[in-house]
Amino acid sequence: MDFDGNVKQAVYQHFANTGTAPASDQLAAQLECSTDDVRAAFARLQQNRVLLLEVDRETIRMAPPFSGVPTPHRVEVGRQTYFANCAWDALGIPAALHREALVHSSCGQSGAPLRLQVGLEGPEPSRWLFHCQVPAARWWVDLVFT
Amino acid sequence: MLFFRSEDLVRAWCRARGIEPRPLVTMAQLWELAVAWYATRLTPEARRPGPAEMRQIFARVGLKEPFWDPQADVFG
Repeated sequence: MDFDGNVKQAVYQHFANTGTAPASDQLAAQLECSTDDVRAAFARLQQNRVLLLEVDRETIRMAPPFSGVPTPHRVEVGRQTYFANCAWDALGIPAALHREALVHSSCGQSGAPLRLQVGLEGPEPSRWLFHCQVPAARWWVDLVFT
Repeated sequence: MLFFRSEDLVRAWCRARGIEPRPLVTMAQLWELAVAWYATRLTPEARRPGPAEMRQIFARVGLKEPFWDPQADVFG
């Protein structure tokens, strides 16, 4: 695996283990490289649509399905809490971890709370719906808005 | 990308923003998409689906509208 692949793996393992984004200096120490090396890898991973960085070009905002900031889509897996970037990613977290989860979110219009149990084979039967305003061709034009 | 409790509430949300409702996705379909996108995401071999693979995934789940085409330019 090349350096960028190692950085990507380290980012995702950190999210999986802690529910939070790793700092660049943490990864630099872990991977025994410079912080500048990690920042450069972050930039390339963002260019390849693996990560989304904050405007400081160093802080990880998204490593889909994980969010580096709190969102209205909270996912509990065992004793660990994760934040998902959107409704899709709220199911993406148990899919990525291959773990049962409890998804907490809400209705985009009414605000009614959603509490959805997700097993290894998928969510419990539910009549709730998913709606995406932005067509697929434009998802990465503004991923935060999407 | 949001959850809604009913189709009526989706329509109300769209009406309030002056936009046309987009294709609706059931929770079962959303789970299939989540698995297709993310089941291998923590592995070294993980990669995002390319445009052709995205089309296949959406079609397999029953989402065949141009809205889901990652290279379509028909939505304003």
